[in-house]
Amino acid sequence: MIIISPYAKALPNGGVNPKNYPFWSELISMISEPIVQVGVHGEQPLVDDLRFGLSLPDLAVLIAQCRTWISCDSFFQHYCWDLGKPGIVLWGQSDPNIYGHHSNINLLKDRSYLYHNQFLSWDLMPLRTDCWVEPQTVLTALQRF
Amino acid sequence: MQDKVLCSISTRGRYFTTLPLAISAVIQQTRPVDKLVIFDDNDDAQDLRSDPVYVQLFQMLEIKGIAWEWLWADKKGQHHNHQSANTMGWTWVWRVDDDNIPEPTVLETLLAWTNDRVGAVGGAVLTPPLQFENIKVTGSIDRIYDEPNIQWATITHCQSVDHLHCSFLYRAGQHDYNLGLSRVAHREETLFTYGLKQRGYEILAVPDAVTWHLKSPSGGIRSEDNHELYQQDEEIFRNTLYLRHHTIVVLNNGMGDHLVFKRVLPDIDNPVVFSCYPEIVPGRSIREAKDLFGDIEQFNIYRKMDQWKWTASLEDAYRKLYCR
Repeated sequence: MIIISPYAKALPNGGVNPKNYPFWSELISMISEPIVQVGVHGEQPLVDDLRFGLSLPDLAVLIAQCRTWISCDSFFQHYCWDLGKPGIVLWGQSDPNIYGHHSNINLLKDRSYLYHNQFLSWDLMPLRTDCWVEPQTVLTALQRF
Repeated sequence: MQDKVLCSISTRGRYFTTLPLAISAVIQQTRPVDKLVIFDDNDDAQDLRSDPVYVQLFQMLEIKGIAWEWLWADKKGQHHNHQSANTMGWTWVWRVDDDNIPEPTVLETLLAWTNDRVGAVGGAVLTPPLQFENIKVTGSIDRIYDEPNIQWATITHCQSVDHLHCSFLYRAGQHDYNLGLSRVAHREETLFTYGLKQRGYEILAVPDAVTWHLKSPSGGIRSEDNHELYQQDEEIFRNTLYLRHHTIVVLNNGMGDHLVFKRVLPDIDNPVVFSCYPEIVPGRSIREAKDLFGDIEQFNIYRKMDQWKWTASLEDAYRKLYCR
């Protein structure tokens, strides 16, 4: 079983977080094993097995059961790191050298896409679809686990 | 910027009394400042470029090759202005009050005492008539309520102290002014220099660097007569002092930030933690931190990383902020 955590925290202005990977549907269609989506209530479902609003202990139990996980740059990648469970993090404009962990596979298309100021509110960052790795790259990385 | 010195003057209500004297004294330093910045905090700011005295002072600056800048400040108090100077990217900032007259060798002398371990250096700041000569002063923060400030009398030998006031040279960008203080900014320089001390830097009171303080009944913080503001600032000062043997940690940020911080916590000396997510990092509330310290921006790790032009990990940034 693989866990996906597709969404970063919603922005204060209600807009889409630019840290969200835009090609989840394509990626999910390429994965041939059970997928559990975690997140908070109100997020868009991408698979049938949804576990929204879990407590931290319950989420930890679920993480312990998975083969690995795929996430955008969000709380989830830090939590898995804290629990010692390696996975794949999809990076677009935020910098894995600052916010990532070496124990994970950090997939960044190119550092030239990183936002010029990594420390401002994310709602100032533009939405981009060209800054992400292709789903096939994620699938290849998944096979390393 | 290595060893370059920005001179910072915050002024209010003293255009035509002591401010020109202060600027003149800065111009005449034997070790010229690399830049003079004046933060104009007056309620009714004036353009002084046509004033006959200021015209010539500005010309003197230019003749001596001293860059200068006159900034319209936000009228929030001198601590906001000094914080601006603190974060302008200079190695050293020499703060001079608008009623100070430093003798010509003051900056040269203060700089001569600096090294990698020094966070701030101050000389005597004497107010005529002298009142505190021949009193032995420790400069310890523990004696803040029962001894005069060490800078109020002639300093005969270099002494390591906990805090300075009024005018001193300091290492910029290492500690923040507390912006939670009111506009009167009571105790702002004590809190600031003691903060540098807590970060592990030496604070020195040194001889042969006399600044004359033409204490005026008006202008500066004496423009404010609201006693409640002084009391509010004193409360923040007392709260800070009460927790001085601890490292104050304020985590006013996301769950992921808390998780990263958790790895740093065991390496922090005697921490007192205020957190948003006590289930991740146990701590007291953020509301309480704001009540105690007035302002918690000094603990904003994102602001710090921005200020430091940070490229390493978030974990290492936390270590820089909290591990001494």
